[in-house]
Amino acid sequence: MKFKVSAKDGQTTLAIAGQLDALTSPDLRAEIDSIVESRPTRVEVDLSSLRLIDSSGVGALVSLYKRARAEGSRVEITGLRDQPLAIFRLLRLDGVLAGAVAKLPDEPKHPKSRG
Amino acid sequence: MSAACKLVAPVPHERAWQDFHAQVVSAVGEAFNNVVLHGYAGRSDGPIELRISTTGGRIRIELRDWGSSFDPSTVPLPELDALPESGLGLYIMKSFMDIDYRPGHPNLLKLTKRLSTTPDSAEATEPKA
Repeated sequence: MKFKVSAKDGQTTLAIAGQLDALTSPDLRAEIDSIVESRPTRVEVDLSSLRLIDSSGVGALVSLYKRARAEGSRVEITGLRDQPLAIFRLLRLDGVLAGAVAKLPDEPKHPKSRG
Repeated sequence: MSAACKLVAPVPHERAWQDFHAQVVSAVGEAFNNVVLHGYAGRSDGPIELRISTTGGRIRIELRDWGSSFDPSTVPLPELDALPESGLGLYIMKSFMDIDYRPGHPNLLKLTKRLSTTPDSAEATEPKA
């Protein structure tokens, strides 16, 4: 997993590439702390180069989302595709996070309604 | 795992196969993590035996471990609306593949999935509580 953080005009972009899983997600912790504490107006999490995510990786991103929102930042996840997109759809993160997943491809809606 | 998925479908670039591949990779990854994080919790190492077979459009993965057992039926479904940060692994497994777990020495987890040719073939199904 590789990640890159850039900040400009009150916006922070966190681009994550490779695999975000139980082994690699702890490496993001310090960066998430730093992003949240800087309280940017908007946080973009660019996942266009993310190849694989597991439940631990989702947990790290949900943590970022919750904490950044609590500090008043807007969070948008962009670039979802392939396996990460399947996971986000299953976990209804596109729906639950409302505008957070702003740029989902126009593909099938959630699998069957649940719950 | 990707190579095994390719054995299931003669045309491994169609949408149904892509969904099938994403779901199998996801479920097996979670199964592996569960063994490492829970079955072998507190240990620096432990064996995991992985067997993969493919027949007639179906993939079957067997994971054997010699760690702590658990009862999948007692694990509650996550409250997705509450944005949980953990407790999602078994839900992902059950949603994406059929699972059969037999506790013992070793514990045996069987994950199976069929690649169908219908448009809805690779949809996830709601796991039973």
